[in-house]
Formats: sequence, C-alpha cells, structure tokens
Amino acid sequence: MKRIIRIFFTYGIKILSLLLAVSIISFVLITVSPIDPVQQYILSLGTAVSPEQRAEIENYWGVNEPPAERYFSWLSELLRGNLGESAVYRRPVADIIGERFVNSLALMLCAWVLSAIIGFGLGCFMGMHKDRLPDRVLKKICYILSSVPTFWLGLVILLVFAVGLKWFPIGFSSPIGVLGGDVTIWQKLYHLVLPSFTLSLMSFANIALHTRQKLADVLNSEYVLFAKARGEGKWTILRRHGLRNIMLPALTLQFASFAELFGGSVMAENVFSYPGLGSAVSAAGLNSDVPLLLGITLFSALFVCVGNMLANLLYGVIDPQIQEVGE
Amino acid sequence: MNITKKLTALFLSAAICLSLAACGGSPGETEVKDSVVIAIGSEPETLDPTQGWGHGNAPIVQSTLVRYNSELIFENDLAADYTLSDDGLTWTFTIRDDVIFTDGEKLTASDVAFTLETAKAAQGSVDLTYMESAVAQDDTTVVITLSKPTSVFLNTLASVGIVPEHAYNDDYGRNPIGSGPYKFVEWRPQEQIVFTANEDYYDGAPAIKNVTVVFMSEDAALAAVQAGQVDVAYSTATLGTTEVDGYHVEAITSADNRGFTLPVLPDEGKTAESGAPIGNNVTCNIEIRQAIAYAIDRQQIADVVLNGFGRPAYSENDGMPWNNPEVMIETDVEYAKKLLADAGWVDADGDGIIEKDGLKAEINCIYPSGDSVRQAVAMAAAEQVKEIGIRIDVEGVSWDEIMQRMFSEAVMMGWGSAIPNETYYLYRSEGALLDDFYNPEGYMNDVTDGYLNAAMEALTVEGANENWRKAQWDGTTGTAMQGECPWVWIVNLDHVTYVRDGLSIGSQPVHGHGHGLPLIQNLQDWAWEK
Repeated sequence: MKRIIRIFFTYGIKILSLLLAVSIISFVLITVSPIDPVQQYILSLGTAVSPEQRAEIENYWGVNEPPAERYFSWLSELLRGNLGESAVYRRPVADIIGERFVNSLALMLCAWVLSAIIGFGLGCFMGMHKDRLPDRVLKKICYILSSVPTFWLGLVILLVFAVGLKWFPIGFSSPIGVLGGDVTIWQKLYHLVLPSFTLSLMSFANIALHTRQKLADVLNSEYVLFAKARGEGKWTILRRHGLRNIMLPALTLQFASFAELFGGSVMAENVFSYPGLGSAVSAAGLNSDVPLLLGITLFSALFVCVGNMLANLLYGVIDPQIQEVGE
Repeated sequence: MNITKKLTALFLSAAICLSLAACGGSPGETEVKDSVVIAIGSEPETLDPTQGWGHGNAPIVQSTLVRYNSELIFENDLAADYTLSDDGLTWTFTIRDDVIFTDGEKLTASDVAFTLETAKAAQGSVDLTYMESAVAQDDTTVVITLSKPTSVFLNTLASVGIVPEHAYNDDYGRNPIGSGPYKFVEWRPQEQIVFTANEDYYDGAPAIKNVTVVFMSEDAALAAVQAGQVDVAYSTATLGTTEVDGYHVEAITSADNRGFTLPVLPDEGKTAESGAPIGNNVTCNIEIRQAIAYAIDRQQIADVVLNGFGRPAYSENDGMPWNNPEVMIETDVEYAKKLLADAGWVDADGDGIIEKDGLKAEINCIYPSGDSVRQAVAMAAAEQVKEIGIRIDVEGVSWDEIMQRMFSEAVMMGWGSAIPNETYYLYRSEGALLDDFYNPEGYMNDVTDGYLNAAMEALTVEGANENWRKAQWDGTTGTAMQGECPWVWIVNLDHVTYVRDGLSIGSQPVHGHGHGLPLIQNLQDWAWEK
C-alpha cells in the first residue's frame, strides 16, 4: 500500500512537470507555426473583410498581445480549472474534449485489446515454431504491417471491406440519418470494427515480434531444457515457464503504445470519418485554434502518462522481483 | 373433362390474383423518394447566423430579410418592402406579418433588431462595423441606421438569418430554431446534421423532406459514393474524373479564383513597416504585366491542371452581376511579344530571356507551400510565359514568408466572394501594401478609387454595380488586364460534386469560396425526379 502511495506521489510530480513542459513546447510551436489563424479564419469565410472587421477578429483571437502574456493568461485560467474557449467552435474546450473523448476511448480501447490479443497470441505461436515456415511467413507479414502507414492501410481496408464487399459501413460511429437516441449498441460496435481493426494492425506486429523473440530465448534456456528432460509437454512448458517471462516486454509495449494509439487514431479517425479527438486535433491544428490544440495536447499527454504509470504498477504484480527492488 | 375445366379455372384465377397482387405492389416500388444524404468536407462551427452560420450563403434553418435568386439578384424574403433615406444612412424595413418560427412563435421586427445587434456585438464573421443601431418601431417595422452609406448592406442582410429573441441563448448555435425552409433536428459533431422540411414554411414546404448532411474528407466521400451510401458528395478536380455507376458529376461554376499579383511599384529601396521590401523593377513595367496576361492560355491550364473542372478567369468576380464582361481577353502570344518589343525588351544575348538596359525579365512567383492547385497553376503559367522570353521561378513558401516577400514578388493568390466589396479591398489605394493580402502589389489609382468609393456608397444596387464595372474597365483604364493589370487572373475552380442520377439539385448560383456549404443553400429547390 505504502508503495502505491509513493508511486502516485512521485508520478504526480513527474506528470505535472511534464505537462508544464508539454504546454510550453506546444505553445511555442503553435506561435512559430506558419499558419496565420486570422488569415485562415478569414479565408474560410469566403467573403471580403474590411480592415475594421479584421481588427475586431484579431482582437477576438488575441493575436496582438505578446505571446508570453497570452501563455500566462492561459496558464492562470488553467490553474483555476478553465481550459478556455475554442476559437473555431466558440465553445468551452472541456466540453469538446468530453464529447469527443467518449468516441475515441471506445475506438482506442477496442484497438488496444485487439492488438494485445492478436499480438501476444501470434507472438507465442511464432516463438514456438521459430524458423519454420509459418513463423517465416508471419514474420514477413509483421514486418510489412509495422512499416506501412496507418492511413494507407486504412484506405485499403475501407476500399476492400466497405466499398468492394460492402460488409461494413463506410465510416462514422453510427448509421447515417438515424437519430442519436435510436442508435443501438450493436450498430455502434458494427461501426467500430473497421477503424479499430485498422488501428490495432499498427501496434500488434511490434508486440508479436518482441514476444516471439523473448519466447525463443526462454525456450533455449537451460531450465526449459531441464523441463523437457523431465518430460513436460510443449504447452505445459509454455504455461509454466514461458508466459510469465514473456509477459513483461509485451506489457511494456502494450502500455507504451498508448502514445502510438493516440497518434494512429488521428489518421484512422480521418480515414473513417470517425468523430473523435483525433479529428478534432487535426481541425484545431489546421486552424491554429490555440486553446483547443493545447487542451487536447495536455489531455493526451496525461492519458499517455497514466498508461505508463499503470504499466509500472502492473510490473510489480506480475514480477515480484521488481517489487522487491522498488522496496 | 370436368376436372380439367375446374383445374383450368383455378389456375386462371390464381394467375389473375397473382397479377393483381403484382399490380398492387408496383406503386410501392415507384414511391417517390423524399430524403437525401449529402457529404460535404467541412463542418460548420455553429448554426447561429449572428456568429457566421450561412455567411455568404443562405442559412436554411433561418430566413433572411432579402435573398438572392439563382442569378444573384435580390428578392424579398422576410421583407415585404424597404426604403432607404436620401442620405443613404437610414434603412426602413417592413416585414411580412405571417411568418412564425418553428416553435410556433411569431417573427416580429424586434427579432430582426435583436439579430442585427447580436451579430454586431459578436465580433465574428458578420461585418456590421458600419451599423449604428437597429430598432424595432412596431411589430413589422425595423429602422436600421448606418454610420456611412454602404451599398453592400443588402448583401450582408441576405446572409444573416433572423434568430428568435425569445429562444436565443448560449446553446443556440447547437440547437437553432428559425423560420427557414428546414427545421433543425439533430447535430452529432463531426458526423451529421439532420434537418427535416418545415411544413409551415411561408413559401411552401420543400420537396425533400429529410436531409442528412454528413462530414467526411473528399477521399472518404468518394468511397461513400462508390458504396452508394450518399446521394450527393462534394469532391475535388483531382477525384472528379472517377466515374461511378448511378452517379453523375456536376461542375458548378464558382468565383473561387486563382491568379497572381504583380508588384506595380519600382524597387526604390523602400520597405514597409514590417521591413518587407517594396517594389520590383521588372513587373513595375506595364508591358511586362500585360504581356504575361496575354501569353497565358487559360483554357489549357483549366483542362490540364484542373482536369477540365475549371474555367478561364479574367477578374476577381467573373459571372457575378457586378462583373464587367469586357474584362475578357484573348490569348495572343504575338501581341504579347509585340508589347515587349515596342517597349525595348529584346533577347540580345540569346539565352531565351529578354532584357532591357541590362535588366533581365526574371521574376519569382511564390505560393503557400502545400497548396497543390496553386503550385500546379503557377508552374503551368510559368511554362507558357517562357515562350515570350519571361522567366518565372515558382517557389512554395510559408504564409509568414509570403508576408515578407509579397510586396516585391509575384504571389499566386485566390479570392472569390459572393459580396462585391471584395473588389474594393483588392484595389483601393488606402489598402495598398497592407498585411491583409488584398493589395500587396501596391496598386494605387485615383480613377479606380473614385469608382470604388462611388460603388460602396451607391444608394441603389444598379448604381453600385455600374461603378463596380467601371472600376474594372471604363473604356480607358481600370483594374482589368487590358488596363493597369495589377493582377493576372488565370482560372476559376469549379466546385465538383457527385450527384445520384435522378436527383435535381436545382439551379445552383455561382459559388463563393467554401467547402461544400454553398451547395446546400438552395436545398428547397432540390427534388427527386418521378
């Protein structure tokens, strides 16, 4: 118990300082980005704008204040729990994040679980058949998948399963034209299949390859040789000596993939027109919507930190050695 | 025998029953469809007209005081009548008294006044900086006072939908109530907005009863068309060449134009406030600017670069009622060469580039990097201009860098507005060399200024249009390419749209800039063929 409290405490400080650094870096990046938010906004209007009107819009976006002043006013608002208002949507950033995160969470969770199951299962299978034909074929496939960009893979999957075979919907989180209250959970899951599958393809290859290598090492060890000599079967060896040992790298990768998952969801959501944080962040970036972009960046940084923290806690549960070293 | 007869009778009656049943079934099959699904690229930020919804288009959910017909001529909508005082400062509108909002409340003059005052205070996209006040005198009369005569006020009114004062709150932009042809039903952010027909609409209920607008990128929209899941999809010139069974492509004329600015001032070592150098010694010569204008084969660029989904552009507002048709010029390479030769530009050293007094006719043309259409148009134009001995180097840079270089180099720009005051900002002397991208070439001309000011302050639409046209070309000078030629206009982009066969999307007015929203402004005119 003491250990958990200490971990929370040290992590709390680490996370806070990290968030501060993330916010400063992203703010600087947005400030020096070549996109002029006011010009972008005016272009999207499609009408001519008088200098008086332009001055009012600049005033609204606050671009005339010095950057440092803007940053500190944003930070002081943040400390009071106010994430600010999105300049593009003219709504509180917290509302937008809340609304979009529910969808993204469902997508990422499905993809995450899917990639864990496929990746770990496949890794075990490959490790047990190392250097034989099924292993060689699967290894090639894993190499290909981990080097193909998500959005391209997404487009191919979209074209094959939604346009060609028409098995799955073309995108969105629910059927077109159906009102929110009438959408069933099954329809939502049905719409999740393609995007989450695409997203899971991105990270499972990594997990599978690492698991394969680790399992191969374990199977080459002397204690496995001894186990074999005692007459233990293939599956018994995997269960008794393999799983615990190969779990750690898989777990590390799985929790570290939170960050990749966030990045990948930007692509997957755009390809499948899926309404989530990913598409909101690209809209915010393209329009230089500073409050929204900072809000989402901070939120995703927090999300990734929490993922890593969970991984650290789970290490102790799976491998008592680590726990003891910690104490 | 008897049995055979009976069997035959039975068989025949069964056959008749079957055919009758078939007849009974057929009306169901030919039932007229009354819903559409439309895929567009960009989601509106809000459905609140005071914050910019429907700006430059029609708001659909709300109705406006006046509106455009498909020829962009004004007609009354909510307004029954309006007058303008002789000094051009006081507009008095009488509105119809038979209009109700979809929540059953009556629309009155105080709603109109409330809408305009709210829009002015919002500091958003609705430019009402010149409006002093809007006051309801009684239920059907509203008096609007301006600080200066403004002829584009009617254009602004045509895009500001009237919101109900009694039902207006912070959440209005997400859940609007109005008096327009369609009723808002539901908005799921980044997915869809659902509208249904307003059966009580004062101009008659629209034919299409259910409308779902979904938001997807152009690539995804094309996939949705191929899967048959949407009826109408906004697309691009690059994607529009894909043929899809059961759909046809409509290329809708737009004023979304591309062309480049050419600095008209000489380089005298001056700089703007921001430190950006001013002037260019090559393009400050009118024969250079005009020769470039005449050497460009616009149709070829439209065909090759835009896959035919574009038209030659001759001004910032081709096809609009305030455009002067005389701005059109024919491509004439010989004339371009003659202009240059007459002014003393010759290729003395034989390197293919002409020069005069030791100055080579070489310029840079910059465009915002990442914009592939601008890049392709600029490259194609540069290739064509090579033939008359002028070298244009095309370079993609950031907007920040464009601001540093636009007063001294050519810039590939794009404009296109459904409101004529764009012409004013593009060419007025006062706006020259400002950071707002309108007049980076430094065009200053007293004659043009006279027409522009007269157009802005004109008391009638005809008077304004007359002056807008003269600003372009009055027979001797103007902003046109045969005039002072500060801009070389090249192409107008078509708005490429996939439409399911059998659906009529009405007579689309010329579109302004914008990703798909202009498409739905005449939704009440859409219909499925029977």
